This record gives sequence, C-alpha cells and structure tokens, in this order.
Amino acid sequence: MKTFKHVLVLATLLCAASGAQAEETLFAQIGGAAKLHATIDKLVEVMLADDRINFAFAETDLAKFNGLLYDQICELTGGPCKYTGRTMFESHKKLNSTNAQFNALAEDLYIAFDAVGVPYRVQNKVMALLAPMQPDIVK
Amino acid sequence: MRTKILATTSVVAALVSLVLPLAANAQDPATPAPPASTVVSPPRNLFKPDGGKLLLTAGFSDVEGVGGGGLVPWALITGYGSNQSFGVNGHITDIRLKDFDLQTYGVGIGIADRVELSATRHKLDVTGTALKGVGIEQDIFGVKVKLAGDAIYGQDSWLPQLALGAEFKRHGGIEDAGPLVSPKQLGATDDDGVDIYLSGTKVFLSQSLLVNVTLRHTKANQLGLLGFGGDEDDSASLNFETTVGYMITRKLAVGGEYRDKPDSLGVDDEGAAWDLFAVWAPNRHVSVVAAYLNMGNVLGPATTVDHDQDGTYLSVQFGF
Repeated sequence: MKTFKHVLVLATLLCAASGAQAEETLFAQIGGAAKLHATIDKLVEVMLADDRINFAFAETDLAKFNGLLYDQICELTGGPCKYTGRTMFESHKKLNSTNAQFNALAEDLYIAFDAVGVPYRVQNKVMALLAPMQPDIVK
Repeated sequence: MRTKILATTSVVAALVSLVLPLAANAQDPATPAPPASTVVSPPRNLFKPDGGKLLLTAGFSDVEGVGGGGLVPWALITGYGSNQSFGVNGHITDIRLKDFDLQTYGVGIGIADRVELSATRHKLDVTGTALKGVGIEQDIFGVKVKLAGDAIYGQDSWLPQLALGAEFKRHGGIEDAGPLVSPKQLGATDDDGVDIYLSGTKVFLSQSLLVNVTLRHTKANQLGLLGFGGDEDDSASLNFETTVGYMITRKLAVGGEYRDKPDSLGVDDEGAAWDLFAVWAPNRHVSVVAAYLNMGNVLGPATTVDHDQDGTYLSVQFGF
C-alpha cells in the first residue's frame, strides 16, 4: 500500500513535470537563439574538421549554410524563424550522400551540442526531428 | 612547392574535365558537364569498414553471441558498418551465478546492415551444489536478416526495425559427470536444436529510449545447455523477451531485460531470466556490458538447491 502511494506521488510529479515542459518549446529547452547559434557555429567547425564529410562542403558558402541550418532547426523546434532554403531532397540530390555521412553529421551535431552544454535528452529531441529527413538526404 | 601543387591540381582538373563530360554524356547527352572542380565523394567499397553507425546503435553481442543486449537479441545488425559496408563485433563474456559460471566468446559480422552471421562458444562450469565440477559446452551459430523498418531514422513512424533470426545450437556434451554425458540422460529429447526469433527494435529518440520485443520459438532448456525438449513437455514454445534501455549519454545506457524460457525437464524447474544492465561504448571499437543477471531456478530439483541462480554478467566487446 505504501509502495502504491509512492508510485502515485511519483506519477503525479512526473505528470506535473511533463505538463510544465509541454508549454516550453524545444527551442527554449535548447537555450534559445544564443545557444542554438553557438551550436551551429560549433557544428560548422567540427564538421569541417571531420574527414568523413568535410569534402562535401569544400564549395559551400559557409555563412549562408550556417544561417540556413540555424533557421531550419529554429523553425523545427518551434522557434521564431522561417527556413527559406531548398528542400532537403533538392539540396542533396546531387551529393550522393550515404547513411554513414548522414550519421557522421548527426554525430558532429551531438558533439557541438555537448560543447555548448545542451542536455543530452534535449539533443535527442532535436535528433528525433532531423532523423526522418534521412530518406530525402540519402540516396 | 606551391607551383608544383598548382601544376598537379591543374593536371587533375584537366583529367577530370576530360572524364566528367564523357560520363555525363553517357548517361544523358542533354545534361551539361559539371564544372571540373565539382566535389566528388570518395569511392564506396563494401569491403571497407565505414563505422557508419552512431554509438550504441550497433547491437552488442548477447549471451548467445547475437546482436542485441545481454539476454535478448535485437533487430539491429551487429557491428558499426552501414548499409554500404560491413562491421564486426567480437566478445568475451563472463557470467558468475551462485552455483554456475558461464564463459562465452565469439564473433559476429554484420553485412550491409542487412544480414548478421555469428558464432559463439558456451563453456559452463558448475561451481556449487552436488554437481560441482561438472562442465557443459555448446556452440551457437546465428543468422539474422533485417526485414523492414529502421530503428533510428523512422522517428515519424511507429514501425520498428524488424528482423528474423535463427540460432543453431550444437551441444558439446557433459563432462566430468561420470556416466552422465548427454542432456538426453536428464530427460531432454535432443542434444541439438534451433531457435527461431522475430525481433522488433525501436529507438524513441524524444524519450532517449530503446525498446525491443522478441518472440522466440524454442525448445531449448537453459539456453540449450541442457538440451532441447523434455520429459515434462516436448512441444516448442513461443517465448516473450524484451529489452528497455535508457540512453543517459551518447556513450552510456542503462536498462533491464526479461526473457521467458521453456520448462520442459522434470529435473529442472526452469524459470524466466531477467537482468539490469549498463552499457558503455566509449568509441566504435570497444564496448562493455555489465549486468546483474538472474537466470531463475537452474536444476533445482536435481541439485536440491532451490535458490535463484543470480550474479554478475560482464562482457567486453571489440569491433568496428
């Protein structure tokens, strides 16, 4: 009986916690514009040092790429932005991207999030929004 | 030096500009040739390991050497190779229960993230009870094929990654037990047998959870170490197995597993097994699985020892 009471209290707390979180956008959980900008800046740095994928960005306008990626993740996570770039399918159709490259960029994003101190469970929520893009990006 | 690099670059560029229009024309005469400086990805090679999966998403070698957790096989293909490469995962596992030690070692290979082949040896030593000193060996050959879905990419779908697998188990006999040399003498119908399983695995990224459910068609007594089928029940059963894991970081997860087992032998009140595990994958070459493991009652009536056989599970795994 006592255990049951504990479970009930725990469940109530969990519901309250998740209810409170539901009001906060993922964008806010990341830490808003400053944290996301810092993340994307770090990602570009990590990605350019990553031999698995950096060749693909040899001719990329990095400032533009940085801005577009920021807008895209900002919009996806409920932030006040509008992505104006091409669709993922359009922008990747000539790249012959592989799963290994897709995952390499995902790993670099995890590393960038870690570097700016975004909690892992929040990182995964962002990844959950990006992962379904795989069929449009990978041939 | 600089001139040399420039010269080399221009030679390469000239060659590329010669070849590329040809290739483009071969496919579609109307397509204009891309500029000579277009970035080309490195050539792909199925025989070159690419480490193309994210950490913790490759499937570890389970107790039977199959890509999974500790007790339960997952639908993930072992090794870190992507769909355009291959991966390998070898393991050494040491299980210490109250009256039984089980050492296992083996290797699994994942081909094109589609097919998994594995070979594992079991070596059981009885360390307590009246049967102390007895040894049992078993070999397990595994085949697994991924059928559908993707555990990670399919975040917008409820379909898990599904895989169908088989474990071919060959008994190596009972040693140092006097006249007792085969599980058949304990009531088993066969020394050797085959388990067939269907696994569904899904990573719920938003919750940082991995959930796996496996259905296993089997007659194996204590994983096959006590043979197949028995005097109490000789029909194959469809057993439920599950893993739930929570990813704490990109490299560390904890969780629990449950596995139903048949109960076919009169001398063995076989029960379900379960574990609580932690797995750490610091990189794509090493992972460590540590667990508290409870195998339930093992040979209770025969040994007159009635406690659960529980203890530690430690597995060190190497691969790419």
